[in-house]
Amino acid sequence: MKRIEQGVTRPAQIAVEIDGARVMVHPGETVAVAVLASASQRFRDDRSGAARGMFCNMGTCSECTVWAAVGTSPWRRLRGCLVPVEPSLRISTRDPESRP
Amino acid sequence: MMTSLNSRGETSNFDILIVGGGLVGCASAWHLARLGLKVLVAERGHLNSGASGQNAGSLHFQIERRFLEQGEKAAADGARIVTLNRLAIEEWRGIEHMLGRPLDVAMHGGLMVAETEEQMALLAFKVARENELGLSTQVLDSAQLRERAPSLSPHLAGAAWLADEGHANPRILVDAFAEGAVEQGAQIRTGTALTGLSMARDGTYRAVLSGPDGELRVNTPRVLLASGHWTARLAGLLGLNVPLYAAPLMMSVTDRTEPVLPYLVQHVGARLSMKQTEDGNLLIGGGWPSRLVRRADGTPDLDRPATVEMKNLRANLAVAARVLPGLAQRSLLRTWTGTTCISADQLPIVGEIPAAPGLFVAAGGSLFTLGPVLARLLARTIAEGSPPEELSMFLPRRFAHLDAFAVLP
Repeated sequence: MKRIEQGVTRPAQIAVEIDGARVMVHPGETVAVAVLASASQRFRDDRSGAARGMFCNMGTCSECTVWAAVGTSPWRRLRGCLVPVEPSLRISTRDPESRP
Repeated sequence: MMTSLNSRGETSNFDILIVGGGLVGCASAWHLARLGLKVLVAERGHLNSGASGQNAGSLHFQIERRFLEQGEKAAADGARIVTLNRLAIEEWRGIEHMLGRPLDVAMHGGLMVAETEEQMALLAFKVARENELGLSTQVLDSAQLRERAPSLSPHLAGAAWLADEGHANPRILVDAFAEGAVEQGAQIRTGTALTGLSMARDGTYRAVLSGPDGELRVNTPRVLLASGHWTARLAGLLGLNVPLYAAPLMMSVTDRTEPVLPYLVQHVGARLSMKQTEDGNLLIGGGWPSRLVRRADGTPDLDRPATVEMKNLRANLAVAARVLPGLAQRSLLRTWTGTTCISADQLPIVGEIPAAPGLFVAAGGSLFTLGPVLARLLARTIAEGSPPEELSMFLPRRFAHLDAFAVLP
């Protein structure tokens, strides 16, 4: 999966954090796009433990639901496809509260 | 799994036409195909697209709150359903083996909780009646409930416990029955609506089906309307009255969490059903109404999905969080609506319509829990030519007076 590059002008990239790793995204893209731009493209695990992607990209299926926080704000659950990225955004695809 | 009939404009003969590809329709198709009948299932949408796939997936065998809240007469009527519930327990215990695949059936027990002493008294009344009828519910006091279900609120007064209750996955059950039915020779046509139904002079039925390949005419001695709340409308094609009324409800699901709730939880004094799925999500419902969409002329539009009623959603979640305090830490992923139905006396209507021999119906609410066993009993009715004793209190004949003025054929 990759961005269309030819004939498209985008604002300069910003860095967000996904599961502790730095990922470069363009302002205007959504949290779901940020996860897709990350190395794993994983939103969660299915019941067999295999990685799952997103599905509808329009706010209906909830498959892209992740945890998000800005800077040191509390973690919130949200549907990644509906929320634009912003500076200092942190995304977690696993429950941050249950981390060791 | 679809079988092409290639019969554009032609007439096909079947032993039975089943209208509705939900739980009752597909389970009946499975039983009847196994008995050697030539079966056609017509489903207007896709399989499992109605209440069969939208319900809570509860396996509830205690007398339901909806009977208890209508006074002692209704509670006594409701108690009669316990005899059927006992058969349903056996049915669910064997269903994964019968269909040869996992269906997320979990029967680890169910609790009907109470918050007040008054509600505890109602539970005691209910449990006494159930025990008389051979259902081994028992009353747990507050301390016993704490021990059984430590994740539930310490403020609960107690609960009625039934070891056989639980839940199953409504997303996969119908598919299992449908695949099995097709393996046994049944034909299933989706995207295919019943647009005409009449009785011929010889008492057999002429059905017109409208599907992706155009119109199909079917001659058949038997028709089963397994169409949920639409059953009433479809019976109307023959001028018959089946007293079923739409009940639009809603269900909610949270994100997944570690196992906290192995039981089905209901509430004797408030609308609540709650359970945790195999995947860890908490499912919350209990009979809170959604809102039917209206047509331009103000009449309810039963062909469009009902809409979520926010006030009821908040109230539903508030009851759930009062019973399971940890729920407040979860995120609501989704709320959806589905429309079931209730009959005039709250009991399912299952069997042959006296005014129209060969016409069978099966609908009326709680048909996830009861669907598999009712389909079995209905198949026996059709195969043996008369209903088994277990079905007697659910037969349409109790409403025969409504068809006193029917003109058939």
